Amino acid sequence: MSTEAIAAEKPKRNYNALFGLTLLALLVLLWVILSVATPSFASTNNISNLLRQGSMIAILAVGQTFVIITGGIDLSVGAVVGFATVIAAMLINAGVPVILAILITLLVGVAIGLFHGFGIVKMGLPPFIITLATLTSLRGIGLLMTNGNSISINNDAFQLFSRSSFLGIPNLFWMVILVGIPAYVFLHHSRWGRYLFSVGSNAEASRLSGVNVQRTIYMAYTLSGLCAAFVGVLLASRIGIGNPTQAEGWELQAIASSVIGGTSLFGAVGSVHGPLLGAFILATINNGANLLNVNAFWQRIITGVLIIVIVYFDGLRRRGK
Amino acid sequence: MTSTAQELHPAPTLEPGRTILELKGLEKQYPGTHALKPVSLAFKSGEIHAIVGENGAGKSTLIKLLTGVMPRTSGDVIWEGKPAALATPHEAMALGINAVHQEVVLCRHLTVAANMFLGEEDSRFGILQQRAMVREAQKIIDDLGFDLPAHVVLGDLTIGQQQLIAAARATVRGTKFLIFDEPTAYLTRKEADQLFTLIRRLKGEGVTIIYISHRMEEVFELADRVSVLRDGTLVGTRNIAETNDAELVKMMINRSIEQVYHKEHFTPGATLLEARNLSGKGFENVSMTARAGEIVGLYGLIGAGRSEFVTTLYGRHRKSAGQILWEGKEVQINSEHDAIRLGMALAPESRRDQGLCLNLPVGLNLNLPIYKRISSNLLISSAQEKTEADRQIANLRIKTPTRNALASSLSGGNQQKIVIGKWLAHGARLFIFDEPTVGVDVGTKAEIYRLFGELLSKGAGIILISSYLPEVYELADTLHVFRRGKLVATHGFHTADHEEILTQALAEKQEKLGGQI
Ligand SMILES: Nc1ncnc2c1ncn2[C@@H]1O[C@H](COP(=O)(O)OP(=O)(O)OP(=O)(O)O)[C@@H](O)[C@H]1O
Ligand SMILES: [Mg+2]
Repeated sequence: MSTEAIAAEKPKRNYNALFGLTLLALLVLLWVILSVATPSFASTNNISNLLRQGSMIAILAVGQTFVIITGGIDLSVGAVVGFATVIAAMLINAGVPVILAILITLLVGVAIGLFHGFGIVKMGLPPFIITLATLTSLRGIGLLMTNGNSISINNDAFQLFSRSSFLGIPNLFWMVILVGIPAYVFLHHSRWGRYLFSVGSNAEASRLSGVNVQRTIYMAYTLSGLCAAFVGVLLASRIGIGNPTQAEGWELQAIASSVIGGTSLFGAVGSVHGPLLGAFILATINNGANLLNVNAFWQRIITGVLIIVIVYFDGLRRRGK
Repeated sequence: MTSTAQELHPAPTLEPGRTILELKGLEKQYPGTHALKPVSLAFKSGEIHAIVGENGAGKSTLIKLLTGVMPRTSGDVIWEGKPAALATPHEAMALGINAVHQEVVLCRHLTVAANMFLGEEDSRFGILQQRAMVREAQKIIDDLGFDLPAHVVLGDLTIGQQQLIAAARATVRGTKFLIFDEPTAYLTRKEADQLFTLIRRLKGEGVTIIYISHRMEEVFELADRVSVLRDGTLVGTRNIAETNDAELVKMMINRSIEQVYHKEHFTPGATLLEARNLSGKGFENVSMTARAGEIVGLYGLIGAGRSEFVTTLYGRHRKSAGQILWEGKEVQINSEHDAIRLGMALAPESRRDQGLCLNLPVGLNLNLPIYKRISSNLLISSAQEKTEADRQIANLRIKTPTRNALASSLSGGNQQKIVIGKWLAHGARLFIFDEPTVGVDVGTKAEIYRLFGELLSKGAGIILISSYLPEVYELADTLHVFRRGKLVATHGFHTADHEEILTQALAEKQEKLGGQI
């Protein structure tokens, strides 16, 4: 958890750490219950699978959290993931070297984020609106580009990456660490991180204190776009298909993970470890429900209830303290 | 509701002099702060009872307990002889206890009339009687002698005018006990006079009044008795006729202050900033200079265009005409960023809207302008972050459990100190302080003025905006008077008297100049 710096007063800091621990405990508890309830849960195969499932939402949730801390929202991330799979697939199939294809895809994510920043800062559009517009139009653009067809990626090495493991841990989960550590340092130990919080708390006060508010907002949405494009690359690698309609609803899962992880939709409250834990809690519930043969409709209901319960208790304790 | 002007005249239920409200061992413990140690105090029916004390002494906390805004930790409150739970604001209002809080707590997006009747709307068959409410509200406002429209949106009024509306609102609901928490902090002199008239009138009608203020002269002008709080403890209660300024200050801060307005004179150095015929939104054709080593005071009524003028200098707003020169060279200041890079710093007037990130830690607020300096390339030096924050907390005696406490948990005056404190370590050359001591206690005021002297001695210049004449009068080497967006007069240190300056600030309106300043 953060150093003393950002995480509010001492009792609050302990509390923040405590909340993180509570989430971790919840996750472990779920795992223990599920291992007992179904023999297949604890199998290496299933755990790897679960980590893979959770990883992509986790990375999305980190980017989303940066945006939410500034008091905004990014509804486009699911669509950006789908769009990025198309870009990556087209480039790779056109013979562009994989590394270059990945870089270009990431740049597309950055460009989309910059566009959001532009809409908010220069055009004065609410974040909800501009990212909602991207959400629908990006899927449309992707469908135009593919004529509504899926593109199979014909590059085995690219696909092998997301299916392999390193030191027994799936590569996709390593990607979470690859994103998580710099994100943590950025949010809690750099001045840009401080500025995200201050802009989310009071943009006017930040501006008068010399914080470049516009640049901070550009930065938040760009990072979110970047994370989403990165997840698009991972998804393309995992499924081996470029299709703009993939990752439907992932933006909501990312927001849910972030909120379960203690991020306040009012801005100025959030961390990196919270959304990561939140994403894996959601993944565990889905995975466990599948194994237990719980009706998929119920899974959605359970997720909804869980969001309410966790955020309610979080709020209670924040106020109680 | 169908209140008429008669409801302004609640029948006194007790003859004056009897106890109407009694506190027995009232106590409040916040996490990390014992804000009110058991306090016992009795209020007499029909008196004006002033409460004074340092920032963070527990004044506002006491009020929050009495109005049911916060639950008490222990103790009893006896209202008209019977114990009262005072668990909700609604219960307090039903008893006849109302308050005008330190920070205006009304809905800025609703109209004045809607705010006045919030929670007691007049509706027939579920349909709001909007016109009737506006008419009713206007009648009440006119009756109180406030010159304000009832149909406008509250947010369009100045903070001072909003405060008056809050006061008007509190008078219309059968009030027997009315609390004012630093009501004059944002009022112009004229508005303050209107408020005092209202308070005296309410007293005449038998309403008991608690009056909280950091301005001693107001206490002596209005109050019958005065109680002093220090660190959550009641130090004593005095009849106003039997005490004096010095004694109260001594009781408040446990030491005496020889001189609040600490003034050092330096020979002014080079010109830092010059405005030539500058115009913009809210002000017109203003020319002035600010030099190193001097305090330039801007006096005027709230709304006279001083804040607009300085925020334009600071790049927050566009100028429409004229020039800005920095060290003799014309400069374009397009953003706060440009201004800060040149070496300016601005402590704005509204701490809630412009000054503070309330839900973030005190330390972060204090360091916000200097993060660039205390981080190497990418990473913040957390050691420096701590030292810088702790230094300002000690410097200004900001009362907070730790630098990690949220700014919102500090008392009003201590929040104000953050707004000032965050610039002290910045190393700016020209400091603009817009109403820097609003709500700040005497001891800290003296401290802030001493720090002004320190900044000057290091070669910095200061532009000081204040609507409180004694402050600018005693501190400014050059005093500019603003009226309706124009700079109408300029004086040297003590070269004009209060009367003359006031007349210039008010001008043709011919306000009555009686009373205190
Ligand atoms: N919500 C809160 N949580 C924690 N501490 C609080 C809270 N509100 C006030 N305090 C603390 O209680 C103490 C008393 O605060 P209070 O607002 O009553 O002071 P005050 O006498 O009104 O000061 P001022 O003159 O600055 O308005 C302060 O130390 C403050 O930090
Ligand atoms: Mg107070």
